[in-house]
Amino acid sequence: MSNDTDTFAPIDDKTYGRFGRLYHGLTTVDFVGRRKIWFTVSIVIIVLGIGSLAIRGFNLGIDFKGGSSWEVLAPHTSIANMTSAVEKAGLAHPNVEKLGSKTYQVTADLNTLSSSRQATITNDVVNAMAKTAGVSPTQVSTSNVGPTWGGQITNKALEALIVFFIAVVAYISIRFEPKMAVAAFVAMVHDLLVTVGVYSIFGFQITPDTVIAILTILGYSLYDTVVVFDRVRDNTQGVLKGGDLTYSEMVNLSMNQTLARSINTSLVAILPVLAVLLIGADLLGATTLQNYGLALFVGLMSGAYSSIFIASPLLAWMKEREPRYLDLAARVGVRTDRRILTASSAALQSAQTSATNARPARSGGASGTIQARARKQKRR
Amino acid sequence: MPPQVGSRRSLIVSLVLTVAIAFGSLAATLSLGWGPKLGLDLAGGLSVVYKPTTHATTSDMQEVVTILTNRVDGLGVSGATVNLQGKDVVVSVPGVKDARAVLQAVGQTAQLLFRPVLCEAGVGAKLTAATTLPSCAPQYQDTAANLNVNTSTGNPVNIAPDPAFTNIASTKPAKDLPAETVLLPLLGQPGVRYVLGPSQMTGHSIKKALAQQDQAGAWVVNYTLTGTGSPLWDQVAQKNFHQLLAIELDGVVQSAPLIQPNQASFTSFAGQGQISGSFTQQSAQTLALAMNFGALPVRLQALTTQTVSPTLGHSSLVAGLGAGLAGLALVLLYTIVYYRALGLVIVLGLAVTASLLWAIISALGHTAFAPSFDLAGVTGLIVSIGITVDSYIVYFERLKDEARAGRSVRSSVDRGFRSAWRTVLAADTVSLLAAVLLYIIAVGDVKGFAFFLGLSTLMDVLITWYFTRPLVILLGRRGSSSTSKLSMAAGLHAGAQSE
Repeated sequence: MSNDTDTFAPIDDKTYGRFGRLYHGLTTVDFVGRRKIWFTVSIVIIVLGIGSLAIRGFNLGIDFKGGSSWEVLAPHTSIANMTSAVEKAGLAHPNVEKLGSKTYQVTADLNTLSSSRQATITNDVVNAMAKTAGVSPTQVSTSNVGPTWGGQITNKALEALIVFFIAVVAYISIRFEPKMAVAAFVAMVHDLLVTVGVYSIFGFQITPDTVIAILTILGYSLYDTVVVFDRVRDNTQGVLKGGDLTYSEMVNLSMNQTLARSINTSLVAILPVLAVLLIGADLLGATTLQNYGLALFVGLMSGAYSSIFIASPLLAWMKEREPRYLDLAARVGVRTDRRILTASSAALQSAQTSATNARPARSGGASGTIQARARKQKRR
Repeated sequence: MPPQVGSRRSLIVSLVLTVAIAFGSLAATLSLGWGPKLGLDLAGGLSVVYKPTTHATTSDMQEVVTILTNRVDGLGVSGATVNLQGKDVVVSVPGVKDARAVLQAVGQTAQLLFRPVLCEAGVGAKLTAATTLPSCAPQYQDTAANLNVNTSTGNPVNIAPDPAFTNIASTKPAKDLPAETVLLPLLGQPGVRYVLGPSQMTGHSIKKALAQQDQAGAWVVNYTLTGTGSPLWDQVAQKNFHQLLAIELDGVVQSAPLIQPNQASFTSFAGQGQISGSFTQQSAQTLALAMNFGALPVRLQALTTQTVSPTLGHSSLVAGLGAGLAGLALVLLYTIVYYRALGLVIVLGLAVTASLLWAIISALGHTAFAPSFDLAGVTGLIVSIGITVDSYIVYFERLKDEARAGRSVRSSVDRGFRSAWRTVLAADTVSLLAAVLLYIIAVGDVKGFAFFLGLSTLMDVLITWYFTRPLVILLGRRGSSSTSKLSMAAGLHAGAQSE
C-alpha cells in the first residue's frame, strides 16, 4: 500500500451535531488513549461497592437467609394497619413493606419456632392480612424458606458461573484470540463487581431473581464485547501489511465504527428493561419484575460501558506490548502525514485501496465493477 | 449460471416459506386454543421443594417422585408437576384456587402402614399419656378365635373395647414408629380407637387404589399390589386371616377391614384386592387416596414453600405482558425513526419471530418436557428483544459502512450480510452457550429463564438467515434506484453520500 492513500475528501465535522456525526459515522473518540479516565471511573465505583460490601454487606432476601413472607394486594389500607394486624396475629418483629402501588409484603423469620407453631402463625397471619385487605384468605400469597435453601441456589449459580466463565474464555480464545478472551473476561468481572457493588450501596434486596438477572447481564455484556471484538479482528487482520495505523488506532477506529451500533443496541436492550422497571414494577406492582428490572438495568448500563470503555482499551494496551505491534507503533509514529480515520473515511479508504490490495474480509473488487460482480459471488 | 443460495428464486422461496411457517403455526396454535403453560408466579398456585432428611439414593428419590405424583394427581388438580432436581423434589401445582388446602394434602410426609388390630379402645373424658401401653386383656383381643367370623354373613362377633385403654391418650406422632405398638383413633368415628401391633407392611407394596362402585352400586376400594408387594400381602393377609388389619396414615387409622370374611380358608389375592363395607363415595375416595399416598422411602423436609394467589399471579402476568409490549413498542418506534424503511423490516421480523416463539411455547406447553412459562421466562424473552433487534442493527450498520464506501445499495446488501452474519453467529453462540450451561447446571427458576433465552437466541439465528437475509437483499436489489422517502437509501443515508 502506498503512502498517498489519504486522498479522500476531508469531511467537515461542523456539518453535523453530535448525534449527526454518530449517525453518519464521523466520530473520532479516542477510546484507547483516554483509558486512564475510564479505568479510574470504574475502579472508583468498584472500590466504593466493595467498601460498602465490607461495611454493610448485602440486603439478603428471605430466600437466602431463610424466613417467611406474605403478600397481598390491598389498595385501601396502610402500613400501620397491616403492621398492627400481623403483630396481633403473633409476629414478633414483622417487616412490613409496600411494594409498587398496592401490594403489601410482610416478612419475618419463623425458623426458630417448632414446625407446628410455624404453621399456626403462618395461618393466623394469612387470616389477619386477608381481613385487613378485605379479601378471602386464598388471596394471600405465602412463602416459607428453610435456612439452607438460599445457599443451595447460590452454590448452583456460582457453579454455573464458573463453568460459564471457563467455557467463554475457551470459546473466545479459539474463535478470536486469548488476549481478547482475557479482556472480555475482565469486562465481565467488572460488570459483576459493579452490579454487586451498586446493590450493596443502595441496599437493594438480593433475591434468586437478582441472581438470574446477574447471569443475564454477564451473558449480555459478553455478547456486546464479542460484537466489538469481531470488528477489531476484521480491522487488524491487515494491520501489519497496511502499516499506517497502530494497533491502538485500529481499535479506536473499530470502536468508532461500532459506536452507533453499540449505542443503538444498548438503547434497544435498556428500553424494554426500563419499561419493566417503570410500568411493570412501579405502576402494576409486580415485585418479581422489579427485582429483575433493577439488576438488569444496572447491569446493562455497566455492560454497555465495559464493552466500550474497559474491554477494548484493555485489549489495545495488552496488544501494544507485543514486539510486532511495538515495532509497528515505532514505524508509524515517525510519519507525519497521518490523519485520524473516521468510520466513514475508513470505509471510503478501504474501498479505494481494495482495488490494489485485496483483503478477503473487506474487499470484493474495485468499486467501479462491484455491482456486476456482487451477483456472481457465491454466498456459501 | 448455476443456481445459487443467493439467487432471486431461492431468496423468495426462503422468505415466503419462513413467513408462511411463522404465521401458519401461529394461526394453527390459536385455532387449537393452545396457550403457554403458565408458571406458578403467573397463574397462582403452590410450589414446594422437599429435601430428604437422611441419605437417599437416586432411585429412592425417583420413587419419592412417583409417590408424590400419585398424591398430587389424586387431588384432581391439573397441570401439576413433580420433578427431581438433584436430590431435591420440586412439587409445583399451578392454578389452584386454595393453595393451602393442597399444601396440606401433599405435605403429609407420613408413611402408610398396615398394622394388625390387637383390640378396640374407647375414649375417656380425661386422657393421660402412657410410656408403655398395657397388653389387651384376652377377652377383648381381636383374635380370629374371638372374632369367630360367620362366613355366610361375613360378620364377626362384636367384641367390646378394652376398658384398660379408655383413659390413655393416643400415641403422639413422635412415638408413632412402625416397630412400636400404638393406640390410634379411627378416621371419621370420634369414639373409636384401636390398639395396633407393629407394622407388617408399608404403602410401598400398594401399586394403585381406586374408589369404584361394585355391581350393586355400593362404594368399594379396589387396589392392586406391586410385584414384590403381592407375595408380601398374601403373607400378611394369611397371618391376619379373619382378623382386622388397620391401614394407618399419619397417625390416623384410615380403615380396619376384616380379611376375607366370606371365605372358610385363606386364598391368595394374586396381586389385587377389594375393600368393601359401609363406604360413602367420599369415604371410599379418601381411603383410596390415602392408599395411593404410598410409603415414602425417606423422610422429607420442606426446604421452601410458596403459594401465590391467583389474583397476585394475574396482576404479575398483566404487568409482565404490559411491560413487555410497552418495551417492544418503544424499541420499534426507535428503530423506525432511526432506520426508516429498514425499521419496518425490523417490525416485520419481530412479528415473524414473535409468532414462531408463541407457537413453539404454546406447543411445548402441551408436552411434559418444557418448563412452564413464568416471570423468569418473561424476563428472558424481554431480554431477547434486545438480542434479536441487535442482529438487525449489526447488519444495518454494516450496510451504512458499505454505502459510505460508495457502494450501491444493491451490492451493499450482499457484502454487508456476509460480515454481519459472522458477527451475529459469534455473538449468538456466546448467548446460546450461556443459556445451555445455565439450563444444565442451575436449579429452579433459572432453568426456565435459560430455556426461553436459549430458544429465542436460536430463533434469532434462524430468522436472520431465512428471513432478514432474503428480505433485505431482495429489497436492496429492487430499491437501489428508488428515491422515495421510504427507500432503503433513505434509511442508510450514509455520510459519504450526503457530502
